[in-house]
Parts: sequence; C-alpha cells; structure tokens
Amino acid sequence: MLQWFNVAKLFSPALTTLAATLFALTLVAAVIHVTAPDYAEVRAGRADAGYLESNNCRKCHEGNYATWHATFHRTMTQEVNPQSVLGDFDRDNTITYQGVRTDMVRENGSYWMKFTGVDGKKQQLEIGRTIGSRRIQQYLTKNGDQWVRLPIAYDLVQRRWMHLNGSFFYPDGTDYKRHVSEWNSNCVFCHNVKAQPHLDWTDKSWNTEVAELGIACGACHGPAGEHAQLALSPATRYRWHFHDPKAPSLAVTNPARLNSDRSAMVCGHCHGQRLPEPRDRIHQMMSDGDPYDAGKNLLEFYRPVQREDKIGSYSFASRFWQDGSPRLTAYEYQGMMRSKCFRAGTPGARITCISCHEMHGGDPRGQLTEKMKTNAACTQCHQQFTTPAQLVEHTKHSAESSGSLCYNCHMPSVVYGIMSAHRTHDITIPRPDETVRFDKPNACNQCHLDWSVNRAIAASQRLWPNAFVDSKVVGDNRFDEPEGQRALFAGDAVMRALTAAAMTPANDVNAPLLLEAMQDRYPIVRYFAANALAAQHPAMPKPDYLGTTEKRNTALREWYPLFMPERLRAAKEARERLSAGRVEADVEVGE
Amino acid sequence: MIRQGWISLAAWIVFGLLIEGLIGFRSPALLDDSVRREMFRLAHAHGTLLNLVLIAAAICARLDLVRLGRATSLGLRAAVTLLPIGFLCAGIWHFKDDPGVAILLVPIGALLLLATAFQIGYSAFRQ
Repeated sequence: MLQWFNVAKLFSPALTTLAATLFALTLVAAVIHVTAPDYAEVRAGRADAGYLESNNCRKCHEGNYATWHATFHRTMTQEVNPQSVLGDFDRDNTITYQGVRTDMVRENGSYWMKFTGVDGKKQQLEIGRTIGSRRIQQYLTKNGDQWVRLPIAYDLVQRRWMHLNGSFFYPDGTDYKRHVSEWNSNCVFCHNVKAQPHLDWTDKSWNTEVAELGIACGACHGPAGEHAQLALSPATRYRWHFHDPKAPSLAVTNPARLNSDRSAMVCGHCHGQRLPEPRDRIHQMMSDGDPYDAGKNLLEFYRPVQREDKIGSYSFASRFWQDGSPRLTAYEYQGMMRSKCFRAGTPGARITCISCHEMHGGDPRGQLTEKMKTNAACTQCHQQFTTPAQLVEHTKHSAESSGSLCYNCHMPSVVYGIMSAHRTHDITIPRPDETVRFDKPNACNQCHLDWSVNRAIAASQRLWPNAFVDSKVVGDNRFDEPEGQRALFAGDAVMRALTAAAMTPANDVNAPLLLEAMQDRYPIVRYFAANALAAQHPAMPKPDYLGTTEKRNTALREWYPLFMPERLRAAKEARERLSAGRVEADVEVGE
Repeated sequence: MIRQGWISLAAWIVFGLLIEGLIGFRSPALLDDSVRREMFRLAHAHGTLLNLVLIAAAICARLDLVRLGRATSLGLRAAVTLLPIGFLCAGIWHFKDDPGVAILLVPIGALLLLATAFQIGYSAFRQ
C-alpha cells in the first residue's frame, strides 16, 4: 500500500484525481455492461421472437403495468394456484347434472374434479389451468400433451357450479361432453399472447407454447424486444421523450399511435371472430402459430366471420341476426364496422375501440372510464346533443331517463356472451320494424316490453316522422302482442334469453311470463328467467335452471301464490300459443 | 462551506418533513406518482447526507486533517447542491415513466463528488 502511494506522489494531484475518476467510471460502466439484459435476442428464432413477458415491461412502465394488472385480461388464463382458482372447492363444491355427480376437491394444494357417472363409474381429473375470472371460470386438465376444457365451470356471478351446457344455446339433453374441447387448437389463440400450437401433423402431437399466459402486454403492443433493448440507454429514452407523441411508435406498437383502422384491428384480432385467409393458412397456424402481431394488417391473415360464411356445410349464420348484425360477443369488431360511425368516417381517422374504451384505466368491467359510461362517449363527435334541451329534443325522453342515455337506444343489449346480455357494437338508429324484418330485438321494446312492436312503430313515426317515413305498422297480429311476451315465447333461444335478461328485475306483470319461461327447453333461457325472478324476490327459493324438471317445478310451486291466478293463466296460454311451431336455431358460441 | 452545509442541511430536513407530511396525509401528488416519490426520496437522502459530508469536510479542513484547495472546495459545494437539486427538479417535472431532464444534473454532481472525494482522499495521504 505504502509503495502505491509513493508511486502516486510521482504524479500531480489533478492527474491522479482524473485517473482515479476515470478508472472508477470505467468500472461502473463495465458492471452496467456485464449485467445488461439482452432483450433484442429474446426468443430469437421462434414465432414469438421479441415478445417480452409483462414483468419486463413493468420495469419502465409501472403505471401501465398496474392498470393492466387490474384487468380481467391478465387473468384470462392462469396456472392453478390458490390466487387463481375462484371456484368454491370447499363448501358448495358439488354439482349433479344429467345424473353425473361432480365433486370439486382441493387436496394438498392440488385441485381435482371427481366425476361419478350414472353407472357409478368414477373418474378424477386434476385441474392445471384456469380460464376466465369475471363471469365464469373454466378449468383445464392436461391429457398427455393436450390441454382439455372440463365440462364443469364456476359461475362467478351467481356463485355456483354449472355445467357448460348451461351457457350455450343447446336444449336439454345435449351430450354431457358436448363442450369438452381442446385448448391447444382453440382457446389458446385469443386467451394468451402469441399462441403457437405446434401441432405435429404426422403424429398429431402438440407442443403448445405461448409468449405469456393470459392477455398481456404483447397482445396489444406486439414484440417489444428491440424497443426494450433500445430503451436500456437513457440517451435513447430522453430522445424518445421529445419525439412527437403522435408519431409512429418506437420499435413497439402503441395502438393509440396507430391509425384508427389498424388500432381497431389490434382488438379485432380477438374481439372479431375470424377465419384464416386464405383458409389453408390454418395448417401454418396450427404448426407455427398465430401469424398476426399487433400493428400489422389483420386482413392479410384473417377475414372477420360474417353471416354468410361457411366452412364446408357448417354455416355461421346463427351467430348473427338476420340483418347480419352479430348477436354473440367476440364479434364487436364486425359490429363496429357495420356502424355508420365507422362507415361514414375517414379511413384511418374514424371511430376505433379506444375512442371509448380505455385499456389502462377505468372500470375493468368493460374497460370504460366513468366519463365514457355516459353520453360523453357519443358527444365527442355528436356535439349537437350536449345540452339537456338538445338531448330531450333528440330523444323525446326526459333528460334524466334511461331513454336519454345514448347507449340504450343506439347500442341496445342484443348480444349474448358468457351468461350475460351485452351491448351491440353495431351502433345504429333504433328501428322497431327491424323486429318484423329481421326477427331481431329492437331498442324501443327492450325497455317498453309491455308495448307491441306495432305500437313502437307508431310511436316512432309520431315522434320522429322524418326518420321513420318508410316504417310501417304490420298486419301480422303477433306484432300486436306485448313484445316482451311475444319475444320470450316466439323468438329463437337467443331472442328468448335476451328478452328474459331485459326483464331483470322482474315485476308483477312479467314475472308470470318468466315463471312460464322456466319451462323452456333451453337452460340458458331459464338462467336469465330465474335471475330476473330472484332479483324481484331475493328471499324466495331460486329455481335451478340446470336442475331436473321435477326439482325445478317443486321450487316454482312456491312462486305461483305470489301472483294473481288470472295473470298466471294468461302467461301459460301465451306460452303455449306463441311457442307452437317456433323454429329453433341452436347456436355454436365460439368463444 | 460550514455555513452552506448547515443551512442546506436545515433546508433538506424541512423537505424531509414535507415528504413525511405528504405521505402522512396521503397526498396523491406524491403517493400516486411513483417517479416523483422515488426522486423526492433520493433528493432528501442525498441532500441531508451530502451536506453532513460537507460539514465533515469543512471541520476536517479546519483541523488541518485535509487540505482543500479552492477547486476542490468549489467542486464539493457544487456536487452537494447539484445532486439533490437534480433529483428534486426531476421529480417535480418528469416524463411518464422517467425522471425529468433535470436528472442530467445528477451525473454532473456525481462526477464532481467522485473527483473531489478522490482529491480529498489523496490530499489526506499527502498531509
């Protein structure tokens, strides 16, 4: 040591200080260099090259990470653990459906479904992953290299176990295993980031991988490896900070900086059921993975499914109303593209998903801020309806009434998905005559359930004579019936379910109709009817929409004395009369 | 130096009280802003500790334990000012996920501090 300082004395203090400072800086720089991550080479050579996991994005984007973390997107697909499993495995943990009893059991940190068949045969399957966390939670078990969706799910809203037959539009008696399906070729594509089924076509084996389970950063921002690599340098980051915020993003996709059509495609990738384009691309998709990355032109790889589409003899028609408007969720992209708001806009600078929805903030249930739940969503463009006087003049309803909320008339709840009625994204002018022409619920009668369609047509002609000049009252006397009653019994299963949902909570007029709807052959219709009844009389025993007819009727018998006998008789007569000759259309819900 | 040390120390203690108050009264201006919180914490820590260092250096110089030249003295005084002020200003005005441009004062202050530390250490061995 002494020797070293003697050597140091040979140099001037300034030179020594400079040398020591430079040496220290070199040391610091070396440590930074050695410990620097290599994001540019993440997953190199794979279909998901450059896709980062969300915890990497968090290092810089803490706020965005937190808002995403609060969403149901994050928890769409999860490995099983005490935090991810939301079903009741401890107390109310049994369901019997079609004679098959299922016990949901937690044993030493593992989760099981134990099935006992009608013949007494037992089978137990370990749950490995969960799907969903908002309305229902579904469960996956691993069968070799394949993940399989189990037939029992947990209804998170009603807090009960259910069979998946109860969530689709099929009648009682549908095969118990009808909805046991393969995750690797289906759910994987939209419920995770950058799906790669890796199907080996020769031996039909799977080696399925995803960039990240659940819908994480990569789903909307694409591969960000290069962006993260560049952002390691503070000089680059500060250069970016002074970059034009409206300019295209920097080595990463930001839907807010894309033109509106490309931005909508990011959401439409999953919220717009699609077919590969060309069709035989499906082989590449199953082998290599989803070719789409956020920011690319979705239409280069896919075509959004439309009513007229078919695969062989299979038709998608039943997923749409007769006018081509989607009637299931996951078709929001198609709905929006049908809207005048979209069609009348300038391509690239028109309405898009994030015109209303906020992915990093707001209520995770719908990803809407409180402001966007109001008419403010529409008055962004339609400023002529901003003041109460302008609003009343336009809606002919008082400013505070539900009839003056833009959404209720222009985006009525005529779409079904995951045990709920949803607003359509086909933003239209409400036309009661569409019920006659397209057998589709109309916004007016969604509220005025006790009005007939003809009365609604007449009222709309009186209130908005210029808009409804070509609308005519029809001679068919079915449309002189209260529309709630007609649709609940004469409509197809989707119409009936949505009508029962519109009757929630029930009242003394429609409750007898809903009691009759509990005789429907479609469990999903009974689901909405039972919920509507229970919302009116929460203390009454709720009829089990999935239970046996006998069990259900026993529960219903307690309900009948609550209502006037003549109303009950009229409801029964209406059901028998209106449901006769009704044409059913079972709907494959491709979620 | 000793005057600057004590006065600055008092100022950064007051700033510490302000931070405690903002946290205690759950001020969203601090609690909802992770970048600002981090920068203010660093400003307070550097402001108080470096001014203690400044006071210690001044005492050492008076006791003739070290020799502080004019340049070293100025460098040290500048460093203990620039570092915490850089953090403070970078926290008051900042980008969404990065400190504000005032953060550039921090490496300048750090370099000065490093150089003066070496210089004082060197002079201590020469005493």
